[in-house]
Amino acid sequence: MNIRKLAWKNLFRRKSRAVFTGLGIFLGIGTFVALASLTAQMEQAVQDKLDRFGANILITPRTEQLSLGFGDISLGGTQVAHSRLTAADEKAIHGIEMKERLRSVVPFFLTAADASGKNLVWMGVPATEIAAARPWWKISGSPIREKGEVLLGSEAAVALEKGPGGTVVSGGRAFRVAGVLHPTGEKEDGMVIAALGDVRSVAGNPGGVTFFEVAALCKDCPVEDIVAQIGGALPGARVSAIRQVVESRKAAVDQFRRLGIGVSAIVLAIGGLMVFVTVMGSVQERTREIGVLRAVGFRRKAILSLLFWETGWISLLSSASGALAGLAAALLVAPHFGVEQASVATSPALLGVAIGMGLGLLGTIPPARRAAALSPTEAIRSL
Amino acid sequence: MDAFIRLENVTMLYGNNGTSAVALREVSFSVGAGEYVAITGESGAGKSTLLAILGGLQVPSSGAVLMKGVDLSSLPADGLADFRRETIGFIFQAYHLLPYLTARENVMVPMSPLRTSAREKAGRADTLLASVGLSGKEERLPSELSGGECQRVAIARALVHDPPVLLADEPTGNLDSSTGEQILDLFSGLHKSGKTVLMVTHNRANLFRATRSIRLQDGKVAEDDPLMAPRQAL
Ligand SMILES: Nc1ncnc2c1ncn2[C@@H]1O[C@H](COP(=O)(O)OP(=O)(O)O)[C@@H](O)[C@H]1O
Ligand SMILES: [Mg+2]
Repeated sequence: MNIRKLAWKNLFRRKSRAVFTGLGIFLGIGTFVALASLTAQMEQAVQDKLDRFGANILITPRTEQLSLGFGDISLGGTQVAHSRLTAADEKAIHGIEMKERLRSVVPFFLTAADASGKNLVWMGVPATEIAAARPWWKISGSPIREKGEVLLGSEAAVALEKGPGGTVVSGGRAFRVAGVLHPTGEKEDGMVIAALGDVRSVAGNPGGVTFFEVAALCKDCPVEDIVAQIGGALPGARVSAIRQVVESRKAAVDQFRRLGIGVSAIVLAIGGLMVFVTVMGSVQERTREIGVLRAVGFRRKAILSLLFWETGWISLLSSASGALAGLAAALLVAPHFGVEQASVATSPALLGVAIGMGLGLLGTIPPARRAAALSPTEAIRSL
Repeated sequence: MDAFIRLENVTMLYGNNGTSAVALREVSFSVGAGEYVAITGESGAGKSTLLAILGGLQVPSSGAVLMKGVDLSSLPADGLADFRRETIGFIFQAYHLLPYLTARENVMVPMSPLRTSAREKAGRADTLLASVGLSGKEERLPSELSGGECQRVAIARALVHDPPVLLADEPTGNLDSSTGEQILDLFSGLHKSGKTVLMVTHNRANLFRATRSIRLQDGKVAEDDPLMAPRQAL
């Protein structure tokens, strides 16, 4: 018999109290671990998705007057007279030192040109790259499969009064409308999208490139290095990392993480309070027992360590089981949060157990101090 | 002979906001080593308070308690705990065993802060249980023991650290008279083996076992009789 064992035995005397004390910690740690491992997995999933599709580097010519970009293409109704980027630049990009990191380099060519009597912006992209470069596009009809086909932005379709199966005429050539984009809120809503070669021939600019989108594999992302290397290879170009793509997704995960931390903090605080209340109650109830222990020569420290061992055992058991339950819950719900391959994250679980132990012991400090300060005379006072 | 235990003008006031009760008034007496003192008095006379102060469980409002010349009020809290462990064995009317522990474990409780091995502690507990006549009942819970047997366990527990002084507060108060006699036989045996015993008792018939009786009344010593007990001759 030592203090540790005495504490252990005491737990089984009042099982329901022990369970209630542990429940707070169990729920708190369970919630914490579930949310923590879920956000960790979501971060991973977002990272994987960023790597798989969507560009993160944009290469544009150094033009002062025009700001060519994702959402802000102002061509002013006049044809872009020249583009300083050319198809040859693609080879230069593929020649950089970190070339294995380049997943795809997609040339885009923009021009303002006639479309069945209306002056619209045409966007040329290699047909095979569209799905990977614009995975969020939803198309009524079918995507472009061959030369001579176009996709219409939703506004362009309205302006031209065309739909899938229709025909758009430009420079004497007829293009079949393969599909119409659902509104995206971007500039492409007003554009005609076609295969790169078709748009180049409409503009009469065979090697023209308006900008390149580069998708770099971005685990532990050395984007800045890649940007610098491409900049070195193309001195005439402006190379920039598309921060907002990365940042906005990170922001979403961050928000979820903050919510998780908030919810966990509340649940943990309630758990700590439950420990505090139940241990306080048990001290009150065991006044006599504590008095007896003092009478048989227990020092205050021994009383303290008895109570700390008691809650220590409870905290350990309940936070370990809470962590397991949290991991299981995270595994179960992960697929609903965009995580394709749910995995077990051990670090939140270990952290959870540590927090649970800390919480249990913290909640025991006030009642334990009270117990140690109790006058032992209550015990000797026979009723 | 030097006084083994000495009380000097011990006064105990219980006061909680406004109302105050005087439990002991200017109590002074000495007890020599090996005495067997029966403390009597009506309910509320201050007997339990006196034992609590003697055992260092309670600090008197004024006055001093000296044990082998050491003033208990000079000891820090841990010092008092050590003093209780080494010097005092308490026995209570209501036994105050821990209900979730077996007889053996209850006797081991005072040893639990010690670093000795579990086997050694269990061995010591079994020896003590045998000495109070409980061989074979080591594994029983208090609920599986009679009142007299529970009190024997409590006595064994009080003897764990082999204290020179036993303080017993109506140890037979919950027992029928023949069981109570057996418990008192145990105390007499312990007294014979050299323990100093202070026992609060209601039953005047018990007095013949003691070497001295002190009667408290309204917190004062009303009577202090050396008795000519047959067992006094050591
Ligand atoms: N904790 C306490 N608070 C207030 N009064 C107390 C307390 N303990 C004892 N008393 C009072 O002190 C007196 C002596 O009590 P006690 O020592 O228990 O007497 P006895 O054991 O002789 O019955 C009684 O009047 C009792 O009411
Ligand atoms: Mg009493």
